[in-house]
Amino acid sequence: MIPDHHFLRNSTLLNVNRHSLLRIFIFSAVWLTLTGSDTSSWIIGVPAVLFASKLSLMLAPPSQCLVSVSGALRFIPFFLYQSFRGGLDVMRRALSSQQLLDPGLVSYVTLLPEGSARIFFVNTISLLPGTLSAELHENTITIHTLDRGMSIWANIQTLEYHVAALMHISTENKKGL
Amino acid sequence: MEILYNSGTLLIIMGVPFFWSGTVGLIRFPDIYTRLHALTKADNVGLGCIVCGLALQSGSWTVTAKLLLIWLLVLIASSASCHLIARSAMQKNIKPWMRS
Repeated sequence: MIPDHHFLRNSTLLNVNRHSLLRIFIFSAVWLTLTGSDTSSWIIGVPAVLFASKLSLMLAPPSQCLVSVSGALRFIPFFLYQSFRGGLDVMRRALSSQQLLDPGLVSYVTLLPEGSARIFFVNTISLLPGTLSAELHENTITIHTLDRGMSIWANIQTLEYHVAALMHISTENKKGL
Repeated sequence: MEILYNSGTLLIIMGVPFFWSGTVGLIRFPDIYTRLHALTKADNVGLGCIVCGLALQSGSWTVTAKLLLIWLLVLIASSASCHLIARSAMQKNIKPWMRS
């Protein structure tokens, strides 16, 4: 018997269970990876996994956490390349005999919705070349930059686009507003 | 196996200058915000290189998974704590250093 998908989608109870099971599975995988095959570690592991799953469901409800696989496949190389550039950029400025810093603050208004997507965006800004998210106030992010001469806007917009693709969010229809 | 081991060594050696410049930046940069840049970005790349190098040398999938997971957890922790330190500095009205 194939279950009725419409019924599954509408049943809140089943949804909660499915999401809880997914979180428990993810956190168990994390624990298993960290501790290896030592079975006695699960004395701590089981309560820790259950606690982490419950806490994560409270802090980030399932509705906010839809990650797109194709978005992730495009995001990961982009992120690795950008953070490598960020590291090189800091290395150049730290080791140079001249003063290469021209820091400043800029504000950026994000189109990403409140919740996981915005938090994720704010955290990844800090790993991009030359930018660091200093404050988040509603949809306005205050960004500290190492060099005001860098193309900060273009970088951040590209990142925002990638985060939107990763989280299944369309920003297109909001751009006109 | 020899090639894997040697490229692992190469990656580990590549990681060292990043850690080095992160620390140099921490000492040389003028204020809290610029120092945060140095620490988070350079150290993450340095750790990434070292993690990849060790993974190549380990020759085991479970160790590789563990190393990559550790890197991911450090990435999350460092970017979040970096943002929190910067935010608390902003709230304390610490003005960023500007080139005069």
